[in-house]
Amino acid sequence: MGVAGKQNTSRLNAKGAGATMMDIKLNANRESGITFDPSSVPSKKFAKTRRALSSSAPPTVAFIGFFLVWEALVRLIGLNALTLPAPSSVLSELFGHLSFYLPHAWTTLYEAIGGFLLGSVLALTGGIIMAHSRLIERSLLPLAVLANVTPISAIAPLLMIWFGFGALPKVLIAAIVTFFPMLVNSITGFRSVDANNYEYMKSLHASKMEIFLKLRLPNSLPYLFSAARTCVSLSVMGAVVGEWSGSTEGLGNLVMLSSNNMQMNQVFASILLLALMGIILTNLVRLVERRVLSWHSSEQSKG
Amino acid sequence: MSVILVESLSKRFSRKGQWTEALRNINLELDSGTFVSLIGPSGCGKSTLLRIIGGLETADAGKVSIGGMTPLEAQASKVFGFVPQAPALFPWRTIIENMQLPQEVNRKGGAAYESNREDETELLRAVGLGDFTNAYPKELSGGMQQRVGIARAFASGAPILLMDEPFSALDEITREKISHQLMSIWEKHQKTVVFVTHNIREAVFLSDKVVVMSSRPGRITEIVDINLPHPRTKMEENDPIFHDYVHQIRALLQERWD
Repeated sequence: MGVAGKQNTSRLNAKGAGATMMDIKLNANRESGITFDPSSVPSKKFAKTRRALSSSAPPTVAFIGFFLVWEALVRLIGLNALTLPAPSSVLSELFGHLSFYLPHAWTTLYEAIGGFLLGSVLALTGGIIMAHSRLIERSLLPLAVLANVTPISAIAPLLMIWFGFGALPKVLIAAIVTFFPMLVNSITGFRSVDANNYEYMKSLHASKMEIFLKLRLPNSLPYLFSAARTCVSLSVMGAVVGEWSGSTEGLGNLVMLSSNNMQMNQVFASILLLALMGIILTNLVRLVERRVLSWHSSEQSKG
Repeated sequence: MSVILVESLSKRFSRKGQWTEALRNINLELDSGTFVSLIGPSGCGKSTLLRIIGGLETADAGKVSIGGMTPLEAQASKVFGFVPQAPALFPWRTIIENMQLPQEVNRKGGAAYESNREDETELLRAVGLGDFTNAYPKELSGGMQQRVGIARAFASGAPILLMDEPFSALDEITREKISHQLMSIWEKHQKTVVFVTHNIREAVFLSDKVVVMSSRPGRITEIVDINLPHPRTKMEENDPIFHDYVHQIRALLQERWD
């Protein structure tokens, strides 16, 4: 899955964690005690904040810089607001009419999350079945590939015809875009268990179910989270594509309507909300991942 | 009393249409509570023999009886504690959780040996890992991980331990140290151990019986009883009898090397 760009940060994180362990060991040695009391190491807390700052500072600076340059360009060149509104006017549009935007954002959010969850559940079920049967995998995976290579924007109008203009077709589209990456990664995760560990389970006479629950499932988690990080933002895209094909509400609907009316402030305010939604959802997945995969040495490096 | 009985066992493998005889006419009788090593060059089928005894592979002909049971039946009632070549620790489980894995699976079958279970923490202490109960495997070196595997086998309560070259990936010094630890645990618990190795000194040091095998086809050339006193951990570094055994087995292996 194409999240290679994140590899660098994760490697930095991993290094950071290593440093803490070293700190702990050094400090423990210094106090010549085997037991380690965290409160006796005042620098640890600061180190953590310092690390958090040093890892979040560069992107923050880049973001602020980006918007400042944008703002300056619009003002200096005197760009028409119909072409490109200044960030300040987009923000004032957004915060001045929050009660107008939030219900739309909510619609898109639940379409996306609903689709993400539906697609994930279906993909996991399919993954379990296909990981256990090469025959079923060989027969059904090509169908999934076919669904994956067909442009979703081409399928969307069809779903509108079948299921109307409500939330259902959007949820379905979000589910379709989520399904394939989750399916492929779950199959890989369930299958790629360490041969030694598998044999060890065999030597204990573990049942297929036990091997699945105790070995395959935990083994697949890094793969599943890697796919989930990609899919959760894909599902927002799916919801938006769905809304374009026919809807009465949602941020995608808003983008389409306001761009038809050349209301650029509204277009950009909606885009901003969509971007925020993507960032928040991806980070939410990452947060859960970090908790669940504390054992995994490079939580995010497997892309 | 013999607990493992192997009678005229043979096994063939097919690779690219060519048949290799992995094992030919193996007969073996192993007593309960003894430490037995299978030694031989690579390809002599020693690991295959171990895996057939443990029910991980099936033979083409012949019979294996584990106290009257077939290997699979024995496996189902959790007679075996397996120590594979690589440590086989689950990375998402802490050391102590890995130690408890054998109790968590196949619960019905293991009931008979549940009462024989040993204290995990104590065994971890015996292999020098008392401070690592809540660590994750990745925090341990290869040698330490392998020691967990050995401690786990002894803790599980299984009466027969099958060890498939557990030290082969370790450096010489670590290897010596761990085999001493293995010996001292074994001297305390006296389980039946079948130990596959290609290290002669290790085999002599650990075993009551060394089964010497040769390859193509894999067969038993000699069974050497090692009459060295216990505790072996106290044995002198240059004990002459120890060296005699080492020379004898080396000669037996060299004889058939070509």
